Amino acid sequence: MTTESTATGTAAAPSDTADREVVTTRVFDAPRELVFDAFTDSAHVSGWWGPRGFTTTTHEMDVRPGGVWRHIMHGPDGTDYPNYIVYREVVRPERLSWAHGTAPGEPASFDATVTFEDEGGRTRVTLRSVFPTAAARDYVVREHGAIEGARDTLERLAEHLASPG
Amino acid sequence: MQQSTDPLSVTLSALADPTRRAILARLASGEASVKELAEPFAMSGPAISKHLKVLERAGLITRGRNAQWRPCRLEAGPLRDVADLVERYRRFWDESFDRLDAYLADVQRKQKESEG
Repeated sequence: MTTESTATGTAAAPSDTADREVVTTRVFDAPRELVFDAFTDSAHVSGWWGPRGFTTTTHEMDVRPGGVWRHIMHGPDGTDYPNYIVYREVVRPERLSWAHGTAPGEPASFDATVTFEDEGGRTRVTLRSVFPTAAARDYVVREHGAIEGARDTLERLAEHLASPG
Repeated sequence: MQQSTDPLSVTLSALADPTRRAILARLASGEASVKELAEPFAMSGPAISKHLKVLERAGLITRGRNAQWRPCRLEAGPLRDVADLVERYRRFWDESFDRLDAYLADVQRKQKESEG
């Protein structure tokens, strides 16, 4: 099963932030309610959240608009990463959105919106992360190729982000 | 954009202005003086200087130390930080989804067993 990380949403409806988002989508072989619960139930979430080798400790998880999920991710090398997620929309089993930061009062690094679509008993999950500014993204992708040493970086970035239009 | 002192936010807000991006694009082809930078933009020296201060604070440019002619030079480091952040985030979800796939299979198998 492959994950498509795409430019402006292929399977997803276009949005006004399309020029500055990273979109990840995948179909899971499980019913929508279960997949939604996997995102929103602290017992479930510790079973899969984060990259390979990471574990998650939840200190507080209040899944409703304005509620907070405060958790620490423990990296395989022993580094701890505090995370502070504030939920915006919670519509079981269709939609979930949050602002993802590191601590209360800090500006969020990303806004994420997840949609859960039923596809004949399987579930398509589409996660959109909005990159803080389109301008920054446009700049690094389009205008920065001339910088020696930055070329690889910019190519990497261009792969991850949508190109306008 | 919220005012913030974290380096990434400072980089992003410095990049949010089209004139500043154009200045950086010009500096990508080599260092330049304030006067050279001001010409194509039809802006006053002070207006350009204000933009240069923002870019300098964000670590996106450095200025030469010669008092007569302080050439501006592009620094790519902060841009790399932005790119790295985006890449880390994408990898986070790719790998999380791999794990979620396995986890959901496991949960459903256990459910079947307990019903069975």
